[in-house]
Amino acid sequence: MIRRPAAPPETLVPGVALVVVLITFFCTPLMSGRALTAFDVYNTFQGLAQLGLLTLGLGLTMIAGEFDLSVAGTYVLGGMLAVRTGQSSAILGIVLAVGAGAAIGAVQGGIIARLRIPSLPVTLATYVALLGLTSAMSGGLSVTYTNTGATLWMDRHIAGIFSPPSLITLTGFVIAAAVFGGTRLGREIRAIGGDRRASRVAGVRVERGLVGLFTASGALPALGGALFSYSYAAANPNPGLQPLILATVGCLVGGVSLVGGRGLPAGLLAGALSVALLGQVDAITAIPDYYTELLYAALLGVIVAVDAPGLRRGLDRLKARAATIRTPDRRP
Amino acid sequence: MTAADNDRSPAMATARDLPGRQDGADTAPPAQEPASAAAAGRLSGLRGVDPLDVGIVIVVLAVIVTGMLTTRFFSLANARAILASTASVGITAIGATVVMIAGSAVSLAVSQTATVVAMIFLATQQFGLAAAIIAGLLSGVAMTAIQGAVIGFWTANPIVLTIAAGFAIGGVATWISGGTTVYPQVTAFNGLNDTPLGLPLAVYVLLAITGVAQWLLRRTTAGRYMYLIGENPRAARAAGLPVGRVTVIAWAIFGACIALTGVFLAAFNTSANASLGGTLSLDAIAAVLAGGTAIGGGKGSAVRTLGGALLISAISDLLLLRGFSTGIQLLVKGLLVAFVVIAVHVRSTRGRR
Repeated sequence: MIRRPAAPPETLVPGVALVVVLITFFCTPLMSGRALTAFDVYNTFQGLAQLGLLTLGLGLTMIAGEFDLSVAGTYVLGGMLAVRTGQSSAILGIVLAVGAGAAIGAVQGGIIARLRIPSLPVTLATYVALLGLTSAMSGGLSVTYTNTGATLWMDRHIAGIFSPPSLITLTGFVIAAAVFGGTRLGREIRAIGGDRRASRVAGVRVERGLVGLFTASGALPALGGALFSYSYAAANPNPGLQPLILATVGCLVGGVSLVGGRGLPAGLLAGALSVALLGQVDAITAIPDYYTELLYAALLGVIVAVDAPGLRRGLDRLKARAATIRTPDRRP
Repeated sequence: MTAADNDRSPAMATARDLPGRQDGADTAPPAQEPASAAAAGRLSGLRGVDPLDVGIVIVVLAVIVTGMLTTRFFSLANARAILASTASVGITAIGATVVMIAGSAVSLAVSQTATVVAMIFLATQQFGLAAAIIAGLLSGVAMTAIQGAVIGFWTANPIVLTIAAGFAIGGVATWISGGTTVYPQVTAFNGLNDTPLGLPLAVYVLLAITGVAQWLLRRTTAGRYMYLIGENPRAARAAGLPVGRVTVIAWAIFGACIALTGVFLAAFNTSANASLGGTLSLDAIAAVLAGGTAIGGGKGSAVRTLGGALLISAISDLLLLRGFSTGIQLLVKGLLVAFVVIAVHVRSTRGRR
């Protein structure tokens, strides 16, 4: 029995999530007692800048059926490298951070594609190693970024609600969306995630695609980490698992499936924006942390249920049984 | 894969729960893959040169030689230190091994579960040590077995589910504890910090658990089923194995192991706050992977995980004695895990490519 839902999950899930979160966001004055200002929107986009590129990098690999845990490592390394090397020239720091992220991603992608090895354990090892490298670079301590000019530039308000980091982040999503919508690459990436064997047979250059994707999933978080460190004027060698978990939530809310083959950059943007909006709701209303945690748990719980084939099978069986009872002459 | 595809081939989706699993599937037909992989593994063993064994021997030799050149590495006190640090991660890692063999990959809710068990253990101290341990164990088993049931019966994705469970467990714990540190009213747990024959009690528990897990995996029906389900969930379901029930058993064992770690953490720290679990989730996975258990399931053993945990502890200890920072220790640990993961994969796919 093939049922096509009204809208595919890759647009339905992020759409519904974003609308729900936006409604929550606009209802915050009811709890906080003060009207929303442009500054709240600005802060939301700052939140997006903090996790957006991390989410995009992770999401792209997830669409191709891989799971790149090391994005959290390149994110931390990128931030530290940019602060260490960009004290005099901010641009140089960013270039080095992105270059290092891309190189790490390319090597990792090469190993994963060439050996056809599951990406989770390899990227987990890379994550641990990068965390160690970053910590060794800084002696395990936070490093202050003394280039105040760059920090002030990063926190400039553009059109009231944007800042350079949030605009760069949005540009990243626009480029990814353009590549997905306008070139063969987007379809190929989804094909790699959907059925790798079939896509190889159909002539998709799977290995090249994977190396390219992992290069992107190394470079994008490194850029995100560098921008965040500049704007925060410090680099933290170990922010824990929180950024990775929130980025994963952003991807899943963005309609990407861990099985692969499903998802769009626009959905990833909606997912990342939802997480950023929730963070801002949290900040405005000053509700206890556990509300957000339980909210995330509920959100992911819904996604688990939507994605679980066993649950759907059980429901189909129930439905089929009901149908058999109604029309006993026809087998379901 | 769209929802419609899932409807058509739900079992296929089970086999591909894990990202990257399709890698194996696209090099050989899924039904034949495990047999040929196992055969290739055996054959390469017979041919004599196994990259993993050679690599591990080199690493162990390097540790021994560097250890001999390092003052105090080969001393009784240092051996105790290594074993003690192995125990804290090792007990959880043994549980993680069982779950990974049964095909559920990883759990990202371990730290939160251990923290909550520690809080429950400390909050029930006034009822006596035995009651507190039982309360901790039961809560750990319940929290984790429920996740196992959702994964086993509904074929939910373990990574997404355990992230959700981590949020839920952490959130409820903060809600109930009010976000404060939990202190015990009385300290009935002092006995757990005993060091019989000079070794912490946790070390003996680790050894006992390794033995029990190894026996369970190799000698019981449930254990044999775990290997089969991990090797090929599609075939296991088709063959009528009780996939759901066995997955729940595996996760319940995992829960008991996490709970024991939580109990020892609580006894050692004498108080529990939200960050007590620390990086336990990833440390445990690293130990399992360093022991050569395959992330896709169906291969591995508890004894190997013990070896992996021990190797990581010994190397960290050696680097510490030679004055390297925690950063370098982490870096080396990551590289070691990467090496073992790649070597295990190359060995199991050799002859197929």
